[in-house]
This record gives sequence, C-alpha cells and structure tokens, in this order.
Amino acid sequence: MNNKKLAIVDLSKNKITIKQTPESLKKMLLGGRGLNSYYLNNMIKPGIDAFSPENVLIFGTGLLTGTLVPNSSRFNVSAKSPETGILGDSNCGGYFAAELRYAGFDRIIIIGKAKKPSFLYVSDDKIEIKDGKDYWGMDTTEVQKSLRKDLSHVEVACCGVAGENLVRFACVRTGVKNAAGRCGLGAVMGSKNLKAIAARGTQGIEVANPELMLETVKELKDYIMNSKITSILGTVGTPLLYEVSNTLGAIRTKNSQLNAWSDSLNAEVIETFVDKMISCSSCIVHCRHRNKLGGEGPEYTAVGLLGANQGIENTANVIELNNVCNELGLDISSSGTILAWVYELYEKGIIDKKITGEELRFGDFELSKKLLYDISRRKGFGDILAESTANIKRFGKNSQDYLIAVKGLPQSDPHDCRYIKAFALGIATSSRGADHLRSRPTLEIFLRLPKQVKEKIYGKGVNNDPTSYEGKEKSVYFSDNIFAAIDSLGVCKFICHGFNSPHFIDYKWMKKLIRCTTGWQFKEKDIQDIGKRIIDIERLFNNREGISRKDDTLPKRYFDDPMKLKIGKGHHIDRKEFENLLSRYYKLRDWTDNGQVKKERAKELEALA
Amino acid sequence: MKYLYVYPEKCTGCRECSIACSLNKFGECNPKKAAINIVRDEFNRYEFPIVCFQCEDPVCLKFCHQNAYRIKNGIIYRDEDRCIGCRLCAVLCPYNAVATIDDEIIKCDLCDGDPKCVKYCSTGAIEYLDETDELEKRRKKMAEKFLEISEK
Repeated sequence: MNNKKLAIVDLSKNKITIKQTPESLKKMLLGGRGLNSYYLNNMIKPGIDAFSPENVLIFGTGLLTGTLVPNSSRFNVSAKSPETGILGDSNCGGYFAAELRYAGFDRIIIIGKAKKPSFLYVSDDKIEIKDGKDYWGMDTTEVQKSLRKDLSHVEVACCGVAGENLVRFACVRTGVKNAAGRCGLGAVMGSKNLKAIAARGTQGIEVANPELMLETVKELKDYIMNSKITSILGTVGTPLLYEVSNTLGAIRTKNSQLNAWSDSLNAEVIETFVDKMISCSSCIVHCRHRNKLGGEGPEYTAVGLLGANQGIENTANVIELNNVCNELGLDISSSGTILAWVYELYEKGIIDKKITGEELRFGDFELSKKLLYDISRRKGFGDILAESTANIKRFGKNSQDYLIAVKGLPQSDPHDCRYIKAFALGIATSSRGADHLRSRPTLEIFLRLPKQVKEKIYGKGVNNDPTSYEGKEKSVYFSDNIFAAIDSLGVCKFICHGFNSPHFIDYKWMKKLIRCTTGWQFKEKDIQDIGKRIIDIERLFNNREGISRKDDTLPKRYFDDPMKLKIGKGHHIDRKEFENLLSRYYKLRDWTDNGQVKKERAKELEALA
Repeated sequence: MKYLYVYPEKCTGCRECSIACSLNKFGECNPKKAAINIVRDEFNRYEFPIVCFQCEDPVCLKFCHQNAYRIKNGIIYRDEDRCIGCRLCAVLCPYNAVATIDDEIIKCDLCDGDPKCVKYCSTGAIEYLDETDELEKRRKKMAEKFLEISEK
C-alpha cells in the first residue's frame, strides 16, 4: 500500500526531493484533503501573500484513489487562497489523480516560483521540471490536447489563461470539465509560473488484500446501485437539485434579490442537451454530461449561478457560459456570484460607468460572456472583477451588504440558505468560506424524511423541520466530519452517507474499504476522529490567519431580507437564533466561544508526525 | 458457448473492468495491466472497451512458435510454461487484445466462466452471453469494423 511517494518540488531552486509519507501520519489523516491541510499548516507561515513564492501548493491524492473502490478518482489541490487569504482547498475528480498514483506518486508539494513558464512531467517514479513556454497562453482544452500529443496519453491538471493572469478565482482543470474550482488555486499555479502537471504511469497500486477488496467492492457496488438516487444521478446528474431547490423557493436569483427562477433550467430540459453520461476514474454513478455544445456539464452550480443568478433563462446560453468558464479556467461559483453582485450594484447606483466602463444589466447573455473573457484577460472592468470579493474596498462599504460571500469566498452553490437553517450554519463555518461541499447536511432538504432516519444519522434532538434551529449544530457537525474523511480517502462525496442519500458509504463501509486496501484495523470511531482532526487542523490554520467568531457569519441579505417567493416566502435567518446555534456548534467542536481551537488541542495537532 | 460482448455506447470510461481484472490476475489496481482495456479520450469524445474476441482462427495461436496457445471449449488459453515471453502474439493481434506490460503477457481467459470485467461493470457495457446468431453477427461486424479502422 505504501508504494506511492511524496515529491517536494522547489521551482525556485529547480530541485526535486522524493520521500515516503510516514505511515503513522497516514493513519492519523488518511491522505487527500487531510494530509494536504496538515502540510499547509506545517509549511506556511501566517500572513504570507498567496502569490508569493512562499506559498505552498499541494496536489494530494486520497488513500484509496485509483483503486477498485467505487468513485475513487479524487484528489485535493491546496494552498493559501488568493481569493480569501485563508485555507484554500479544492477537491476534484477526473482521471488525473489515478494516473498520478500509477506514475508512482500520491502527493506533490510545490514551493517557490519558476523563473519562466514551466510544467511538471511525472512518469514512472520520475518528475521533471520542463519548459512550458509553448503551452503558456493556451486555453485548458488546448493545453491538455497539446501535452497529450507531445507526451503520448498523459492525464493533465492545468490552469487556464485566467490562472496565468492571476485571476483570484481561477481554477485548476483536468479533462473537459473536472475542476479543483474553488479558492483560486489556478492562480496560485500561475503565480508559480506553473502551467500544468502531466502524468503518465504503468505502475499499479498495491493492495493489502486483493480478494477481500474484490469481495467488499462487489457488495458495496450492489448496495449503491440498488439505491434510486444512483440511477437518477446517472441519468440527469446534479441539475436534479435545481428543481428541488426551486420548488422550495431557494434558488439564488439575480444576486438573491429573488429566490426562484425559470423551469427552463430543470434537469429534464438540460437532458435534451446531453450526448452521453460519462464517468470519472472508477466511478459507477456516471453523473458527467457530455453536452451537445462541445463541452461537459452543466452541474447544478452552473445552472443556478450562470442561469438564475444572471437572470438568464435560455438553457443553451447557460450551457455555453458553463463551457466558457471551463475553457478559460474560471471557477463557476465565484464567476456567477461576482457578476450578479456587480449587476445589482450597478442597478442600485452603488457603482457606475466610471468603474464599469459600460452599462451592466441582468439577463444579458452576451454581456456575461464578454465579461468572463475580460476577467480571464484582466481587460478593462474585467481586471477589477478578477480581484473578486476584495472589491468591497473599491466599491465602498455598502457594497458588502449585497455580496453573497463568507470569509471572502463567494457562495458555491445556488441554494439560498435563508430557509434551511442547517445549510446556513454550514456555509458560515466551513473551513474555506461559503461552501456547500464541506458540511452541507443535504438530507435537511428532503422534507418528508422520517424524523427517526434524520436522528439516526445526525443525532438525537435534531428537529425534523428544516426551518428550525434546534439541534442543527449536530447535522453540520456530522456532515463536516464525514465529508472530511471521504475527501481524504479520495472517494467522491456523491456516494458518501448523508450527502445525497441516507445510505451509501458510512463509517462502517469506510472501515471495510480501508481494511482491504491497507490492512489497517480501524474502528468506526477512529475514522470519525480523523474527520474531527482534519476540521481542527484547518481551523487552526484559519485561526492563525485571524479567523474567529466574527467571521463565521452570513451575507447580510440572509439575515435582513426575508425571501419573497414560494414556500420560502418570509423566511430569513434570525441573528439571535444564529448566534446561539453557532455557540452550540463551537461547544460540540470543543472550540472556545470565540471560535478558536483550544491551546491543548493545538499543541496535540502540532505534534503530529 | 458464452462470450464477451461489448456495448461502447453504454461505456462511461470508468475502467472498473480493467482494475478488477488486474486485481484478480495480479493482486494490484492497474488498468494498464489487464486483459480488458478501455480506449478513451474525453476531448475526442469516445470510450471503447477492447476485449479479446476469442477468434475462430486466432493469430496469437497460429503464429506462436512455441505452441503456447491452445483452444479449449472455444476459449484461447496461453500456457505460461511454454511461453517464452517473445510478445509476438501481442504484436500480431489485430485487435490489440493481448496486453504486455512489466514483462507480463496478458490474454483474456474469461476468468473460467466468471469474467470479473462483467461483474464490476455498472452499466452493462460488457456482457457475458450465450452466443446467438444475432449476437455473433454483431460481434463479427464489430471485429470487421475494427480491422477497417486499423488498416486505415
């Protein structure tokens, strides 16, 4: 199992060190997100500029990545985020992570800055820093196709033009649409003059007990395939969630001025644009749409944020904006949030043509498309937009009141969090800012799920009403922990217990999968403790960057403007109830009432090795 | 007689078939060390499972100078004791169905009637079915199409 290595690449010194990750450390943090966060916490000094050579950029695969374990395609890209100044971390599927392991490595830590455009070529136990000037300036598909042509069938993780130009929400791309989208990690690649990592390998992943793995996976596969949600996700993918949220009146529309939008973006309409549903490595769900417009997607996030939030109804237009973001290497969540924000600011007269250079309006597909290009090129107003949420300073203090972001990170998912209170606590406390993939207790949305089922998963005392604050700290706590564990295993959250279904991979399954892969005899509680450990390490990193209770908050609109439409009508977040909920969450985490990891725990975590 | 039939339109490219094959045959997870290979390219938009057709007149057997190949119940087996690892079979197979990697020669033996690729495929892109006239016609057509492509 330990046949995969750790590489430390110093781009300034042109030096590569190859090591073994200590097994003791893997047992404490598994891999993927867990180990990445550990290294960030150990290697990054507080207060550094995210674009300085001191920033540490990590590509880390999960403990089970590239194996027979279903949906084990994932890796995490991590660094200090140039968008938020705190922990930057993003999880990604596709084929790159498995290939990196077949090439002999499970983690690459990149420090320093190359003198000229470069890329890394990883092949069978070897890493080379190569001249990247021929690839600089290329869109994400072009660079990947060129590298495949030049180096045979490599799998590539790259940044687009947006990353080269240090757009603070540039993503890392692999394949046609897989992205480590959040936190501007593509721009960190750009700041290091690193265009891409290309990997190709023929070495297998050793497994402690092959027969047991064959047996366990067969059992798990049957279990997952028997769930109704699996076949729905495999047919329509995540756009399924658009209609669910829209019925509730919880689709962020026109910068959350409204909370519901057109049926033209429902999954059944998106489906008419799909050629074939395809998979990431080892994936049995196949939720990726190969669309008829030349790209892949859209996911639910794109449907909401490039559709409803822009005030665009035309399905083909939304898919095209999705494809444009992917080509340029822009994070869809931040792009869709930032554009909607400035459209409203312009409507309200908070910013004007002196800054924007032109009239801004919702519902203008051509305008949104042009601005996306301009952002990636840092051209005109695009140069300003590329600074993301830091524009509060430029646009004036009251612009902040209309910004749908937490800790400087635009909210990832198109779900308006005023109705479901647990979702609100989730985005307020997530370790990378406003994001649903860290801790969203999705099951809260299934209004008819029996109380016993919810209580069995989240714990006793969780009120079954999604608009109640009662016990909701437990739903978030549970989700935060288990998602940290699944991210560190390298398995897609889609088949994680509590994310899409009350079934799927829970701690019991994790225990079995870890056992057949590594031979380690974990107890279920050990894995839950790993999740907790990861959350604490990430919080420690953020505490050192100045994050405390004051930052665990929500967009002003979520508190002060009640929702206007549908079931959600009249709902908002009550400040006092929210503060109480936050205190209960801290207590459960054993953080101080100011949201700090306690000193003893910090010492314990810093001593890990 | 039962054979493998592939349905590329159902293949999503995940490679669970190849990984299961390598795990079963070599005890490791390695889609490149398998008797079934998925040729895929998401930029050119295709996924295609490549399996041994268990030919009626197999090139691997015909040209093996060590007589390492034999046919038993319609399945072509490679005898490891006779094989000297020259890889001629892999070079000559027009369907690229004999894989070579790490000095291993990998030839599909249908897992003695329990093919792992089929078992771990989640979409029915590979099926293990009793031969029928219709299925055989389809299989032959696919083989011909293949030859056509490789001759181009």
